[in-house]
Amino acid sequence: MSPAQNIVSFRNVTVCYGRLTALRDICLEIPCGSSTAVLGGNGAGKSTLLRAVLGWQALSGGEIRIGDEQPEHARPRLAYVPQRHAVDWDFPITVRGVVEQGRYPYLGLFSRLSTADRARVEGAMEELGIADLADRQIRRLSGGQQQRAFLARAVAQGGDIFLLDEPFAGLDLFGSEELGHILLSWQEQGRTVLAAVHDLEAARRIFPRAILLDTDLVACGPIEEVLSAANVDRAFRQGHCVHGAHAHGAQARDRR
Amino acid sequence: MSALHDLLVGPFAYEFMRRGLLSALILGVSGGLLGCVLVLRRLALMGDALSHSLLPGVAAAWLLFGTSTAALFFGGLIAGLLTALGSALLSRLTRVKEDAAFGSLFILFFASGVALISALPTRVNLVDFLFGNVLGVSTSDLRLALAVSGLTVGAFVVFYRSILLETFDPVFNRATGGHGGLVHLGFLTLTVLNLVAAMQTMGIVLALGLFLLPAVSAYLWCDRFASMLLTSVSMALAGSFVGILVSFHAGVASGAAIVLCLGAIFLFSALFSPRYGAIRTLRHGGHG
Repeated sequence: MSPAQNIVSFRNVTVCYGRLTALRDICLEIPCGSSTAVLGGNGAGKSTLLRAVLGWQALSGGEIRIGDEQPEHARPRLAYVPQRHAVDWDFPITVRGVVEQGRYPYLGLFSRLSTADRARVEGAMEELGIADLADRQIRRLSGGQQQRAFLARAVAQGGDIFLLDEPFAGLDLFGSEELGHILLSWQEQGRTVLAAVHDLEAARRIFPRAILLDTDLVACGPIEEVLSAANVDRAFRQGHCVHGAHAHGAQARDRR
Repeated sequence: MSALHDLLVGPFAYEFMRRGLLSALILGVSGGLLGCVLVLRRLALMGDALSHSLLPGVAAAWLLFGTSTAALFFGGLIAGLLTALGSALLSRLTRVKEDAAFGSLFILFFASGVALISALPTRVNLVDFLFGNVLGVSTSDLRLALAVSGLTVGAFVVFYRSILLETFDPVFNRATGGHGGLVHLGFLTLTVLNLVAAMQTMGIVLALGLFLLPAVSAYLWCDRFASMLLTSVSMALAGSFVGILVSFHAGVASGAAIVLCLGAIFLFSALFSPRYGAIRTLRHGGHG
C-alpha cells in the first residue's frame, strides 16, 4: 500500500453515457482519513463519481487509483452504503442478517460464518449501538436505526474507505442528527468517508472537505473554500437548476 | 377409521394418483423456493407472463418430435428465453418500456401457441396443455421433475448467500464483487425449467400458482429469508397433497385443485397473519 497520503486519485477522468457526458476531465485527490462531501446539482455527476470509485463505472478516459491499485483490485477496502429508497424495508431480514452480509464477500461457497466473522458482526453492531436490535426485522426500526444497520454492515466489511450515497436523504431530523454524530466520530477515528450529499447546509456542518461538481470539477478542497459564493453560483446556476443559487430543493434523484 | 383411510390413502392405490402426487410434491419443493425470490424481487407478474409464453415452444416441439419429454422441455425453454431476451431488446431499441414489451410479446407468443395447438390433429388436448392433467404424468415426466427440482434445491443450497444478496441488495452484491447478472440469468433459467416440468401436472396457466402462492403466504409470516424459504416449501407440499386429494374426490382438475388449496392458505395468511395480516392492520392501523 502506498505510504502517500493521497489514497484516492482521479487523473483526467471522463465518464460518458452514450452521447451524454456525466463527468468531464476530473483531476482530484482525496486524502487518507478525510471526510469528503460530494456536492452538486441533479445530474452533476455525484453518483457517477461514487460508482467510478467503486469500479463499476467504465471510464471513457483517464484513470482512478486507490493507493497504488485500480478500483477493481481495491474492493476489500471499499464499503458502500446504498440510498435509503433503494432498500426494500419489508424484506424478511433482521438487523443481524443485514450486518452479516458485510462478511459474505470473504466466505467461500460452502463455508459458514466463522467465530471471527461473528465477532466482527457483533462488534460492528455494538459500535453503532444496535446490538439490542439485532433480531428485529428492519422495517421495525427508526430511520436513524435503519441507517445505522447499513453503516454497521459497512463496518463489518472491514474496509477503510466508506462510500455513502445520499446518506441524509429521507432521514427525519433525529435521524440526520444521529448520522451527523456518527460521521463526526468516524472523522476522529481517521476513517475515510466519501458521501454524495445534496443538502449543502448539512454538508457544511459535518464534512471538512468537499468536491463540487457540475459535470466538470468546480472545486475541491476544504469545504468553506469549495462552497464560496462564486463556486456555488457556477455549479448550480449554469447547469440544470435554474431556480436559484442554492440547491436545497434538489430532492430528485441524481442522474445514474 | 376406514373412512379416513379411504379419504387419505385410498386414492393412492392407483398408480396415476401416486405419480401425480409425487410430481406435485417434487415440484412443490423447488416451486416454493423459486417463488420466494419471485415475490421478493417483485417478479410475480413477470413470472406469470413468462409461463404463458412457453406454449408455442411446447406446441412446436410436440408437432415436430411428438411426446418426447426432452423436446417439450427445450421447446419451452427456447420460447421462454426468446420472450425474456426479446422484450429486453425491444425496450432497449425502441421507445417501448420493459413491462409493455414483455406484456405484448408474451400474449403474442401465447396466441401463436394456441393457434398451433388448435391446428394440430385432435388427439392433442389444448385444455391439458393449459390446465394440466394429473392422469398423464409419465415416468419420464417424473424423472424430469426430479432432475429439475434437484437442480433447483442444489442451487439454493450452494448459492444461498448469493441469492439472498442479489435479491435483497443487488447493488451491494455488485459492489463486493458478486456476479449479479449470472445469478439473475441462472434464476430465470431455473424458473423456465420448473415451469416446463410442472406443465404436465399443473398446466402452463396454473403452474405459477404452485410457485407464487406458497411464497406470498410465507412472506406474510416470516421475518427471516431462510424461514420464509422453509415455510414456503412446507406450504407448497401441504397444498399439493391436499389439492391432489381434492382433485380425486371432487373430480376437479388437479392443477386447479392444488392452486385452490394454496389459495386458501394464502387468504388465511393475508387475513390472520399476526404481524402483517389485514385484520391486524385494520385494528391497529399501519403495518409494522
